[in-house]
Amino acid sequence: MNPLQIIVCAKQVPDPEGPADAFEVNPEGKKVIPVGIPPVINPYDENALELALRIKEQYGAVVTIISMGETLAQPVLRKALAAGADNLILLIDPLFQGLTSQSIAYVLYKAIRRIGSYDLILTGRQASDWDFGVTGIFIGEMLQIPVVHLAQKIEIEEGHVLVEKLYDNGYQVVKAPIPVLVTVSSESGELRYVSVQALRAVSKKPVVICTAKDLELDERELMTWQIFNLNKFGEKRECFFVEGETLEEKGENLALKLRQDAII
Amino acid sequence: MKDDAYHRNRRVLVLVEREGPSIAPITFELLGIGKKIVFEINGTLCAAVLGQHINDLSERIALFADEIYSLDHPLADEFRPDLYATALEQLCRETNPQVVLIGCTLNNLDLAPRVAHRMGVQLITDCINLSIESGSGHLLCAKPVFGGKVIATFKLEKKPYIVTFRPKVIDPIESGSKRGKIIPFTPVINGSSANVTLIKNIQQDRNQINKAEAIVSGGRGIKDEGGLEKLKGLVRVLRKYFDIVELGASRPLVDAHLVPSSRQIGLTGEKAAPKVYIAIGISGSLQHMTGVLGAKKIVAINNSPKAYIFQVADYGVIGDFEEVVPALCKKLEEL
Repeated sequence: MNPLQIIVCAKQVPDPEGPADAFEVNPEGKKVIPVGIPPVINPYDENALELALRIKEQYGAVVTIISMGETLAQPVLRKALAAGADNLILLIDPLFQGLTSQSIAYVLYKAIRRIGSYDLILTGRQASDWDFGVTGIFIGEMLQIPVVHLAQKIEIEEGHVLVEKLYDNGYQVVKAPIPVLVTVSSESGELRYVSVQALRAVSKKPVVICTAKDLELDERELMTWQIFNLNKFGEKRECFFVEGETLEEKGENLALKLRQDAII
Repeated sequence: MKDDAYHRNRRVLVLVEREGPSIAPITFELLGIGKKIVFEINGTLCAAVLGQHINDLSERIALFADEIYSLDHPLADEFRPDLYATALEQLCRETNPQVVLIGCTLNNLDLAPRVAHRMGVQLITDCINLSIESGSGHLLCAKPVFGGKVIATFKLEKKPYIVTFRPKVIDPIESGSKRGKIIPFTPVINGSSANVTLIKNIQQDRNQINKAEAIVSGGRGIKDEGGLEKLKGLVRVLRKYFDIVELGASRPLVDAHLVPSSRQIGLTGEKAAPKVYIAIGISGSLQHMTGVLGAKKIVAINNSPKAYIFQVADYGVIGDFEEVVPALCKKLEEL
């Protein structure tokens, strides 16, 4: 049996762990500008990569990472190679700025078609920047292959996958034929630790870079969001600090205060 | 059904969310926001019910909406994203709605993109407010982005405007006295088009976080079962004061497998709007706090005075919860 071909779509985002005030909105209210925080691989896509690497270890697979953006930081995405992915394809073009979810999915779809063979396509459940959570499903619709949303575990059997997926009341086990697109939830586990040595070891590994032209995109399909405005989320509340001589007294005083204010 | 007047109607279509045989609360919130849009565009409030044996359900919705499309089909009993997408697409093509409102649940995040793709339109997920742009009539959709740090308002220009709307951020529609028309609509779906088959269904503990009046939530500060027990103790005591009290958690407690993921509150978890939200050992990241945008009062117990939670809380106690919470419980018992 040929090794499974796994494609993982990964987005570069500003580190979501950055403090709230590191995300500024430009004066026109149309762009979010991360200040002083580094780009990282979208953590949900790292979950997808981790799942791909576990499948590779268990069943044997070739793992290819695709990322797209108007600019991409190679060292950031090389982390995927250091973690154990085999190939890295970067789709970079100024045309890729501010694209709608559909257009992003279209570019990734064209790149996947160009790769040609795939058994399993994995994406994170959503990106930590715009939090849409739709790109993976769009790609699956475009490729006209089955989609399983929110996986926490994947097992491979002959010709199909068994996926443990989240739903509103718990989880389900579903079976889908290969090729299949699976979006991955954070319940699947964090990406393994990547050492500086491992990063250094892949620093010279070749990376494939494609532009819109290489992908033979139809530019009419590249649409940008109509952003009406952006506002920093500003809800802050006035905190009444409950005091007391001891922690027990603070606890008791909290109860009294909540009663006094008719909260309970 | 093809006369002009029919198509001139400006329909706002709400997808009714079922919980088995009953109607999920998000449905009434969707009807609430739908009613507001209907008023702005002088339109018709419509609802779609998918399922099997859904007459009673449709009757209840008829108190709130003008037209109720009853998609009664044996294959629609259980949620199946591919079949539901096909059915909804067919309904959209037939009834030509201007706006389609879908609850932002895990299942619907699997459904809505398929419908949008097939209708050839954009989709805005996780909206917290909607309005019509004066003049253009386009739909303005506000949604938290960057983990809740920014609110973005997107403009949808191509109809139907399809959105998923976040639970627990707006009030449900007020009591209804309409006598809406129930219109049967039989979708053409068949089982063989479903290429994903269900093997088993594991229900995790069913909770009522989305209906809770009080929630006690733990975060990174809760280190073990012993700590969690103290929170559960507070949940029990609060039942003296509120009908529905639930235990919640932020992401770290779920990742540590102390609490099932069905109780995770935040961006990727449950949304809640309790009267009182008690956050214990929770730093207050916006990814978490965005899940309780609608909470009336927030109480924080945290041993770090610098924790961000104190900026978004109404009441704060600085100190170790292991000592504060038992004393709080004891006093609440006595009051």
